[in-house]
Amino acid sequence: MRGTRAPLTRRSFLALAGGSAALAALARSAPLAALACDPDAEPPPAPPGARFFAPDEADVLAAVVDRIAETGRADAPRARETGAIEAIDRLCLALDPGLTRPLPALLRLVDWGPWLFDGAFARFRELPPEAQDASLRGWMESRFALRRQGFEALKGLAFYGWYAQPASWRLVGYAGPLLRAPGPP
Amino acid sequence: MSVDLAAAREPLALRADACVIGSGGGGAVAAAELARGGLDVVVLEQGPHWTRRDFTQREDEMLPRLFEEAGMRRTEDGSITVLQGRNVGGSTVHNLCYAFRTPDPILALWREEHGLPSLTAEALAPSFERVERMLKVKPIREDEVNALNRIVRAGAEKLGYSGFVTKHNREGCVQSGYCILGCSYDAKQSMLVTYVPEAERLGARLYANARVETVETDGGAPRARVRAVAGRAAGPGGRPGVPFRVEARIVVLAAGAVASPEILRRSGIGRGAGQVGAHLHLHPSVMAAGFFEEPIHAYRGIPQSYYVDEFIDLERDPRAGYVLMPIAGFPVLTAAQLPGFGREHFRFMQRFAHMAGLLALLHDQSEGSVQPGDAPGRPRIRYALDPRDAAQLAEGLLHCVEVLLAGGAYEVLVPYARDPLVVRPGDDLARILRRGVAQSGPNAIPLASTHPQSTCRMGRDPRTSVVGELGECHDVAGLFVADMSVFPTSLGAPPQITTAALADRTAHHILERRAELAA
Repeated sequence: MRGTRAPLTRRSFLALAGGSAALAALARSAPLAALACDPDAEPPPAPPGARFFAPDEADVLAAVVDRIAETGRADAPRARETGAIEAIDRLCLALDPGLTRPLPALLRLVDWGPWLFDGAFARFRELPPEAQDASLRGWMESRFALRRQGFEALKGLAFYGWYAQPASWRLVGYAGPLLRAPGPP
Repeated sequence: MSVDLAAAREPLALRADACVIGSGGGGAVAAAELARGGLDVVVLEQGPHWTRRDFTQREDEMLPRLFEEAGMRRTEDGSITVLQGRNVGGSTVHNLCYAFRTPDPILALWREEHGLPSLTAEALAPSFERVERMLKVKPIREDEVNALNRIVRAGAEKLGYSGFVTKHNREGCVQSGYCILGCSYDAKQSMLVTYVPEAERLGARLYANARVETVETDGGAPRARVRAVAGRAAGPGGRPGVPFRVEARIVVLAAGAVASPEILRRSGIGRGAGQVGAHLHLHPSVMAAGFFEEPIHAYRGIPQSYYVDEFIDLERDPRAGYVLMPIAGFPVLTAAQLPGFGREHFRFMQRFAHMAGLLALLHDQSEGSVQPGDAPGRPRIRYALDPRDAAQLAEGLLHCVEVLLAGGAYEVLVPYARDPLVVRPGDDLARILRRGVAQSGPNAIPLASTHPQSTCRMGRDPRTSVVGELGECHDVAGLFVADMSVFPTSLGAPPQITTAALADRTAHHILERRAELAA
């Protein structure tokens, strides 16, 4: 998957979460364009052991998952300490590339969001937790539909990764699967 | 066992008497009945062929395996999640097994307003009986009604609302509750364990990971004849693999109400009348979550056994109403429905084991559309509730809250995306009507659809429909549609049995005309 990075185009974003033209212009703006490669390139098949997200993108993703899935409980692990990020990565590798292509650019936009939208001189990963929450809330409540939908996409992925982990189940009282091994013969 | 086209290295060319596109609730039935009638049948399924050994009861593994876009497919404005299967057996592998025949008033509506005089309960009875026998449809026993459904029943009965314990298609159910993630015990009588193996036993050849892109015709006028089906294998991650082509004089399109019109439009079929992909109904639903002092573990046991039909009277008005249905999810699916994030979200999520969901499912009159997107398998689904439907769904939401409170909830969450509403006993429920479900635009509250339908609807008039009374395409001889897309209107009831019965009927009609169609 490496080497093919696409911008947050309107069409690709529609495939991800639906959308409007409002943020398309923003998505094509200089900061995002600098983050992207050929938007129409079809990525080659993923080789064994491939990762969808580059290490830097995975760092942003982990920071986002930590805030979206924040429980306030001292005994809750961080996303990196569970298989959440790996589960999201596997999902993105398995999905239609037309659906997932804008995700790396979206994560970069989230990381630079405090600069772009909030006038803060720090990237998302560098903010304290409360400021990270405020930044995410800016996405969730944005007047731009596309930003709101970008948040919804990240929320869906974050909960997909986090709540699929046994470490999260005990926090919500879910007993887990009845099967511990592949199905009965 | 099926052939996995994803592993194919060379292009594939086949010939058959009949080619069936899709192996779900319509396609599997058509394939088995055509094979039983002696036809050489090829079945093309765009998804993989999983079995119970693959059903691990884990959401991170099963959602990508069983659902289009891992369960994250949405309408174009992002407002409605559209859950559809993408595997051998289609959506019947993840559905929750409500088993209803087509309501008589809906059949009357289809006869009288869509020119379909043969759609009577009597005429359909042989198909219903064959399907119900094959799917082992039976009443759910009282001792199989789980805690979630008992709560909903208690609430509805306290309020004097009509409801009943339904029929289902399970045999030897162990009540694990994992129906929506695929039955690890083969107790759910989905197409995967009934009609698909029956079709294979009768000689049908099943190809998995085979995504059909076009249906070819001879281009004849005034009416073309179907000639072949073409597509590509679906490689890992949905990437296109080797091409395939199947020559057949009979083609049954049963790819579902999203993919079927997409395939027809890509094939240039039905362009003139503009009916292909139009008239989309979704049975959109909205849910409320009740919280109870004692743990419910709503995810254990048969998820849906009770059905509240107080608010739908199809005899009086076949174009309006909604039903209330219990709903439980596992953590990923549940978390996606709850508002906000972080601690605000966890405030609800930490009571997962104490949570009971109830949804209102609308018999919608609003119409959307399906159009091809930028590549095969990436459809554009457009749908917006009209004001009347939005008002009805808001009313349904109010009744969900009311029933949960009557069932003993100490509070109920109405999951508005902004400023979620928490209602407690004695609160003013009219606030829900004032806020509605779409007043502030799309995405005001999570909406979902598991029943897309009506995009290739049946009718006598080619100017207002795509297929005729027995499923044959007006524009192309030998091309039949046999899935939920043929419903002339919203069904207003769970669609599994109607879909299967209409497919059975179409298959038997094809067999009666086999000599003519093969000529």
